[in-house]
Amino acid sequence: MDRRSFLRTSAVVAAGIAAIAAGLAPLRDLKNFESVEEFLQKHYKELTPEEMKQALERISREVERQYGLRPHVRDLKPMDGVEFAYALNLTRCIGCRKCVHACVAENNQSRNPEIQYIRVLKMPNGTLDMEKGDHNYATESVPEKGFFYMPVQCHQCHNPPCVKVCPVEATWQESDGITVIDYDWCIGCRYCEAACPYWARRFNFTEPSIPRDQVNPNMAYLGNRPRHQGVMEKCHFCIQRTREGKYPACLEVCPTGARKFGNVLDPNSEISQILKNKRVFVLKEEVGTLPRFFYYFDV
Amino acid sequence: MECPSKASLALTGLAVAFLALAMAFHLEIWGRYEPPPALPRVDPSFTNTSTVRTSLAELKRTGGDTSEFACNACHEVGDHARKLRLDEKGSVILPDAHSELVMRHGRSNRNDNCFNCHDEANREMLRTRDGRMLKLEESTMLCASCHGPTYRDWESGIHGRTSGFWKRDLGPIVRKDCADCHDPHAPAFPSVKTAPGPHGLHQKQEKGKFHG
Repeated sequence: MDRRSFLRTSAVVAAGIAAIAAGLAPLRDLKNFESVEEFLQKHYKELTPEEMKQALERISREVERQYGLRPHVRDLKPMDGVEFAYALNLTRCIGCRKCVHACVAENNQSRNPEIQYIRVLKMPNGTLDMEKGDHNYATESVPEKGFFYMPVQCHQCHNPPCVKVCPVEATWQESDGITVIDYDWCIGCRYCEAACPYWARRFNFTEPSIPRDQVNPNMAYLGNRPRHQGVMEKCHFCIQRTREGKYPACLEVCPTGARKFGNVLDPNSEISQILKNKRVFVLKEEVGTLPRFFYYFDV
Repeated sequence: MECPSKASLALTGLAVAFLALAMAFHLEIWGRYEPPPALPRVDPSFTNTSTVRTSLAELKRTGGDTSEFACNACHEVGDHARKLRLDEKGSVILPDAHSELVMRHGRSNRNDNCFNCHDEANREMLRTRDGRMLKLEESTMLCASCHGPTYRDWESGIHGRTSGFWKRDLGPIVRKDCADCHDPHAPAFPSVKTAPGPHGLHQKQEKGKFHG
């Protein structure tokens, strides 16, 4: 190689490196840089109790740094002999959207941009065609004459398409019927979002933002601990409440008592009574997802 | 002067292109990520779990103001004298002292006779159609005397609000009475204020479109 071609090649290589370095400039703005610990953490199902303790401790530290409060983070396991189901009385629902906002407050969803697990569809009477539903209705008061309201959230399917498409097994169905996500394992490919026939999954396109005074410190690993940019999230039947025996937040806030939740394996639970005595139906039965979320009308 | 080879021309071209790219990246000519505009905070009234009204039973439990229910402050016990005045359609004409009441119970408002529910002799008591006497705060059983299927659903937890624990051995379930949600004189559930709807990521609020 002669002197001239060496200089020429060096110039090209230097320019290339400069271009690459400049192209990586956005990394300068990367906040909440994921710790090495989180990066090296194993899949939820492979964590030993000791490693889970460390992971919970790391999450607590991160939340404390970001939101200035010490959370109570736990890894809650499903209870034996419990399978959850949900029923929603469409005759009672008035479309006030209180469930939407109670859910956001309970589950530490991003306030800006907004992430909401529940969508309330305003539907004209006489049809269940979801194409006719409007979720942006902005009337001063509800209900309106001639319409019914149908809240849609994760149906915790018995045959969940979102779980099947996940290429990294970051989402799976637990024994109590809740489909959960390991937010530290999710790679953000959004296949599950595309696979869900109920549009129940949400993606964090940007770093979520929650006002410090609105963070719910009662957290669960598979539930409402704060998420990062680039991961999926969805309704998990308020795992941090329901696995401690409490009702979900959307049910408690519903002013009309349209929402019912419980253990289908207990014949005396409200949900068993509804499944036994009311004419329930599921949404998009024909796609074969076997939801654990039922709708019904009564008098 | 020697003629530059094809390879050296290509290399010079690449160097220039790379440097141009480096400048472009550095100056961020494709624009920076702009955080979305601020959204208004959601009114805390949309996340509180209170009922739409408060029954006498609840007022007594929480030590609230029950003066509204002191009927015998005006009425005399044992006074049967007052007859209901009816208009030409047979609807009750409310006496002036109760003109604030909205009477809308039953289809076409037919259950508007005060003494269908209130006892004629003692206004602080309720009386079912089969003659049982109930205190004002026991109104749930009065409702049950006509609304059987609804009461059956309420008893099993299907009708009405619940809170607390679905798993009873871990904690209690909290139930509400009929009058915590329904006004006995106008029982239909009232209209309520709508909570704000979703704001799409790009703030496009197209009405009637499925995707925001």
